[in-house]
Amino acid sequence: MAKKKQILYPVVFMIALTAFFTFLLAFINNVTAGTIEEQQKLVIQRSVLYVFNIDTKDDADKTVQDIFKNRITSEAKNDTTIFTYKENGIIKGYAFQFTGKGLWGTITGHVAFDPSHQTMLGVNFTAHQETPGLGGRIDEETFKNQFRELEILSKQIVTLNKGTGGNVDAISGATLTSLAIRDIMNTEIPLILEFAKKEGFYEGN
Amino acid sequence: MKEIKNIFAQGVWKDNPIYRQILGICSALAVTNLLMNSLVMGIGLMFVTGLSSFTVSVLRHHTPKHIRMMIQTLIISAYVIILDIFLKAYLPEMSKALGPYVGLIITNCIIMGRCEAYAQHNPPHLAFFDGLTMGLGYTVVLLFIAFFRELLGFGTLFGIQILGESFTPWTLMIMPPGAFFMLAIVIWIAKNIFPVQEENKGGPVNG
Repeated sequence: MAKKKQILYPVVFMIALTAFFTFLLAFINNVTAGTIEEQQKLVIQRSVLYVFNIDTKDDADKTVQDIFKNRITSEAKNDTTIFTYKENGIIKGYAFQFTGKGLWGTITGHVAFDPSHQTMLGVNFTAHQETPGLGGRIDEETFKNQFRELEILSKQIVTLNKGTGGNVDAISGATLTSLAIRDIMNTEIPLILEFAKKEGFYEGN
Repeated sequence: MKEIKNIFAQGVWKDNPIYRQILGICSALAVTNLLMNSLVMGIGLMFVTGLSSFTVSVLRHHTPKHIRMMIQTLIISAYVIILDIFLKAYLPEMSKALGPYVGLIITNCIIMGRCEAYAQHNPPHLAFFDGLTMGLGYTVVLLFIAFFRELLGFGTLFGIQILGESFTPWTLMIMPPGAFFMLAIVIWIAKNIFPVQEENKGGPVNG
């Protein structure tokens, strides 16, 4: 017991234990790093395929990776990644990542357009902090399906409530999240489209 | 065997960490809006509490007493990081749903409470079992709360629709206040089932 009252012993003990756990964690981190990276990539791949309306919901991870590899090419320009969907050499659409302010935090997702930027092909949200059951319902198919094949008629891409002439219905009980989505669509998306046009990811007049 | 039975009864029932010790409340409030989240959180906590108690117990004769809390924190955080990495690699959906609460298991008082109260003075196998059952007690209460919150808030159980289309979800149940109400009800029921005996010992007599 006398030994344990020394100053040196606790220090050595603490260092040894810290070294042991650090080594253990570094080892586990190293072993799983590849898998984690693959999982994070898969989230993006699934999301991009979803916005292009390629259904991969029930497909295994390997199939998703193959489909993505065969049909989608991605290019990074000024920190923005642009995904191009080609089928038999013909460009079917472009997808972009977007971020914007939600009610509780940042909303991140992907949005796809046809080559002439006339129609929105689809929207998906990869990360958000909206209230589960209320604003969180932006993840539901019924909400996201409203953006499929949505024609872009004016600068105001999204106007809420079909009953009063809008093109997308808000989520009842989640007015603020719905407004946030509308604002993201009307402010962030035109900027993305302008950028894409400048960089040549555009076919049309 | 008797010892193990006793630990089990204490952890899950008589001395349940949530409704008796009122520990781990923060995460109990946060993750109980879905049964699946609660289950994964509970299993995660069982893993961390069991192994932390085991490790603290193995090292108990060698640990200098005055730095034991630092060592416990180190052990606990190591296991939590392992759990976090595991979820990210193999259950990414869960990792996303639980968000910061996995990392915050480190601050869950149940784990350090068990290390201090039990693992320090008992052999490793009993300490491991004690940690595991305390985690189980936590899981059971979480699932109980989540059962009502998910059923009334979403009309589902483990994501499967139970209540018909005509059911109007009680949105309040999936928001933070719903958790407070449910937890209070659980503690109230528990207080009525187990009348307080030992707390009067040695304490000031109420007039």
